[in-house]
Amino acid sequence: MARRSRTAAVVAVAAAILAVVAAALVPGRAAHVRRPVRASALPAPVTPAFVPGAARPLGSTRHLAHWAPVRRNAVVRRAPDAGAAPVTALATSTPERTRNIVAVLGQARAGGGQVWAHVRPSMLPNGGTGWVPRSVLGGYETVRTLLTVDTARLRAVLYRDGRPVLRLPVGVGMPGWPTPRGRFYVRNRLTRYRSPEYGPIAFGTSARSPAATDWPAGGYVGIHGTDRPELIPGRISHGCIRMRNRDILALAGRMPVGTPVLVR
Amino acid sequence: MTRAEHHEWTRAGMLRAAAAGGAAATSALVIGVRDGDGASQAAPSREQDNAILNLFLRLEYAQEGFYRQASNSKNLDGDLRTFARTVGPQEAEHAALLRHRLGSDAAPRSDQPDVGNWLTSPRLFRQAAIDLEEAVIAAYIGEAANLTRGALADVAPLVSVEARQVAWLRGLGRTTPAPRAADPARRPQAVLAQLRKLGFLA
Amino acid sequence: MSGPTLQDIDPDEALQGALASLCGTTRAGFLRTATLGGGAMLAALRTPAVARAEVSDLEILNFGLRFERLQAAFYTEAEELGTIATMSAAKQQWAQTLGAHERAHVRIFKKVLGSRAEGRPTFDFGSANATDAAFTRTAVAMEDLTVALLTGLAPIVHDRRLTAALMGLTTVEARHAAWARNIVGSAPAPEAFDRPRTLASVRGAVAQTRFVVKPPKTSSRRRPGFTG
Repeated sequence: MARRSRTAAVVAVAAAILAVVAAALVPGRAAHVRRPVRASALPAPVTPAFVPGAARPLGSTRHLAHWAPVRRNAVVRRAPDAGAAPVTALATSTPERTRNIVAVLGQARAGGGQVWAHVRPSMLPNGGTGWVPRSVLGGYETVRTLLTVDTARLRAVLYRDGRPVLRLPVGVGMPGWPTPRGRFYVRNRLTRYRSPEYGPIAFGTSARSPAATDWPAGGYVGIHGTDRPELIPGRISHGCIRMRNRDILALAGRMPVGTPVLVR
Repeated sequence: MTRAEHHEWTRAGMLRAAAAGGAAATSALVIGVRDGDGASQAAPSREQDNAILNLFLRLEYAQEGFYRQASNSKNLDGDLRTFARTVGPQEAEHAALLRHRLGSDAAPRSDQPDVGNWLTSPRLFRQAAIDLEEAVIAAYIGEAANLTRGALADVAPLVSVEARQVAWLRGLGRTTPAPRAADPARRPQAVLAQLRKLGFLA
Repeated sequence: MSGPTLQDIDPDEALQGALASLCGTTRAGFLRTATLGGGAMLAALRTPAVARAEVSDLEILNFGLRFERLQAAFYTEAEELGTIATMSAAKQQWAQTLGAHERAHVRIFKKVLGSRAEGRPTFDFGSANATDAAFTRTAVAMEDLTVALLTGLAPIVHDRRLTAALMGLTTVEARHAAWARNIVGSAPAPEAFDRPRTLASVRGAVAQTRFVVKPPKTSSRRRPGFTG
């Protein structure tokens, strides 16, 4: 009898051991033990497709100029005030049927909270500036270029970010038809018009010839090519700035609409 | 990209197309292969999600516990106390989301270390909280792309709030809230090691 | 006894992700535990989708570029035209930093896209960035919208490396948003979770601003009528 009891005890212990082993080996049978995730089991970060470069402050705005399209007819005024004296009228279109644009010189908030833009329109006498409500204009555009025209040296220089990038000989107004001096801007760009005397491309500017006030299209001064390249440089035009055709094409590749034009 | 990864994304694309009623799945934009990436990455999976989400859960617990202690600290008042009392419950909500997501796979919460040494002054609290938040954000950025789409959909709106929190905190310390144009990722192992060293994790 | 759920049959959640891009993440989360074929799931799937089913990474990147350009132009114009100079020193730092970051984002998106980058849109911000108050109001809204966009994009991007890159931008934009809110005295982190928006929804929001306009016609084929 003692031997049977001992055997039963051994069997019971063995069964217990087997039960524990089975519980450990058979998933789901034992109580689920959640262990903390090992850090080494975590995947490495995915390398990003790109990383932005360093953020840079804006830097100097000295060589920037702004322009804006005219959205609706308006009156340019001497001050940012609806009661201020008029300077000139602004139309939405140019004689070339492009959108009229103005150089934007700044902004101010007038009494009452309305924002006004300080603009340089195309007008006679040349060189005038004034104010229009911000809502008269469309979105502002920025250019980094400047074209200077030296009527004494018969040379134009295109600058970008203050550095000269093109130096070109030019023809300017003949005696009695001077190219107006002052600050202007490129207003539009004309192409594919088949007029050899204007070359392959012409730019309209905001400059107006005081000598050509009766001109059918308003007497605006352009920058354009020519079918008489042998006359350049020279004082040969009715006020326009003429270039050899290869030069106007080079200019066209680098001078956007809105570029300020400084004629000295 | 390994075959397994390609299979995962292609299958996902096909299923999306099927769900959409037949629109063709477009191929992924090839935007440049970078060394060391893709070929060695495991494809996202439920199992991998669980590991990553449990990491995130652990980080949320660490934050929640810290802010709960900070909320009751007599050494903080004013803006910093407001911060702790606002952000602490947000971290609790983050943890709740992650627990819900993980279900029975959520790891149990460990005992919260005593972070009293960071609460002896407003300056210490603020610096410790910034270190904690920045480490957490870097861990999230590091692991987000390893998640399945569904998990990432849940986690993304939480990660952005972590970034809001640290910007807020940095602003309180007159440190620029956004010091870089892009935030970096960090390996989870490095983040965990740093937080253990700082005493936020056991 | 309920039948199998989506969760049961979709271990890697590929279908979950597909539904998220179709139905939005909240609904996809509900669908995860609804019984397959059950009435609730069928009803949810029958309701109109709130997101496009399939958006390519190229489309995502180009929309990202457009959106970053919009932000960069907004901040840059305000700085160039003097609005930011009228602000306090702290606000100037905020506005200038955000502008610098957005310009950096534009540069990298353009670089990544290369010849596949869409052309620069024409923007008209009107008076929205012409005064301190208007600028600030608009910037706060724009930054919150950016966060909503990026958190919504995260789960629909195909290339995981792009996901990783966008996450690094998402947190920066969220910092911007919190910073902006702090500037105006609003809660920097008002809720525990941000609210993602779909690409279509953000497109709609941008359209409502009317900041993106047609470019003005400044070229012509008419014969010049200049003085010659």
